[in-house]
Amino acid sequence: MSTDYTPTVTGTGVKAKIQRFGGYLAGMIMPNIGAFIAWGLITALFIPTGWVPNESLAALVGPMITTLLPVLIGYTGGRMVHGQRGAVVGAVATMGVVVGAENPMFLGAMIMGPLAAFLLKLVDGFTSERTKAGFEMLVDNFTAGIVGGAMALVGVWGVGPVVSAVTTAAGNAVGWLVESNLLPLASILIEPAKVLFLNNAINHGVLTPLGANEVTQFGKSILFMLESNPGPGLGLLLAYLFFGPRLLRPSAPAAIIIHFLGGIHEIYFPYVLMKPRLILAVIAGGATGILVFIMTGAGLVSAASPGSIFAYLAVTPKGGWFGVLAGIFAATAVSFAVASVLLGFGRGGEEGEQESVVESESAPVVKEA
Amino acid sequence: MPSIDSKDIHKIIVACDAGMGSSVMLATQLRKQLKSHHVQVEHTPVNSIPADADVVLCHAGLAARARAGAPDKVLISFQVFIGDPAVTRLINTIKNGGTVDA
Repeated sequence: MSTDYTPTVTGTGVKAKIQRFGGYLAGMIMPNIGAFIAWGLITALFIPTGWVPNESLAALVGPMITTLLPVLIGYTGGRMVHGQRGAVVGAVATMGVVVGAENPMFLGAMIMGPLAAFLLKLVDGFTSERTKAGFEMLVDNFTAGIVGGAMALVGVWGVGPVVSAVTTAAGNAVGWLVESNLLPLASILIEPAKVLFLNNAINHGVLTPLGANEVTQFGKSILFMLESNPGPGLGLLLAYLFFGPRLLRPSAPAAIIIHFLGGIHEIYFPYVLMKPRLILAVIAGGATGILVFIMTGAGLVSAASPGSIFAYLAVTPKGGWFGVLAGIFAATAVSFAVASVLLGFGRGGEEGEQESVVESESAPVVKEA
Repeated sequence: MPSIDSKDIHKIIVACDAGMGSSVMLATQLRKQLKSHHVQVEHTPVNSIPADADVVLCHAGLAARARAGAPDKVLISFQVFIGDPAVTRLINTIKNGGTVDA
């Protein structure tokens, strides 16, 4: 089915490899987003500066972020490697880094969960051929118990302190970027990577764990908003609605609803891939959004996932709506303006119609970026 | 290139990066359009396409990964999430009979 419209798949191996690795990291976080949101809502409501401060309910906040969320991540990571047994040892091993470090151990969980499961997979491969009939359950239970327990010890002594230092360093680096107003430049990397379907890898593989760490210190984090700001995509789609090739204009309203209200950003990626120069519009929009977020001191208490305006408002801390909405609005406006210019304000509509079909290559984005 | 007769299509897998967002949306659309046909439509992460899939649908940007994970499947890649010709063609083929090739 390869036509001009849907060219034959030629995907570069490197891109697929990065996507796969990133997808693996994001795959440990994303199934647990519900837990992140539960924690974010409890935090926003019950901490002393929240909507309805309540000391006894606020007691949930600490244990959930330092224990529950990392253990869930380690569990999911283990399950990806070695099914249910992998999940169990992954969770046990993650307790090692939870106890061995002060700050929330998301990164540690993303290492220990899969690692412990992988070890158990090797052990299972070794014992399964040598176990006598009737002893399977005994052997299985004790190999899992011993591997899990041993990895928990490794976590406390070895991995916890190391990952703790790495997390602190990464946090300091981000803090430095924020203070020196360099963070908007992140959009130059984030936006092109996003439309190449690395969106989950970046947001959930990297930014969500770092952001959750910041929340425990400052009560909110800007990191949740770097990738998930729906503004740049909204501006781009609006520009398509008014000035895009006539063939594509009718699809824009539905795409806007799915993107901005439903939070499925993937919907706008094809509109960038069709006209790769439009990447400049989303970069400009994203950078503007981040700049406004910094200037207004905006932050979210938890990951806004999916990146819908509703998810944003739900995890905005009390009194923080102005900065958050200002950043989204500014990003939308700038992205719309730049995209409109790049689309020539819809001039030469006839020409544009053909262009939309012919230009549908997905590869050249990187060059433009 | 693998191909499959429309009568033999029992399970369509829509794959995206996490198997939680865009694939769910497209799978729901397909399910509605194929309601009267006995075709199962499911969504999964692109890294874990099940072995019993007959046809795999995913965005062109993820097709290389889908191809690596399920090399012998009929893989249809699309460009846009709403009204892509490749998806429309698949639906029409299932409704009217014919052969689907990758």
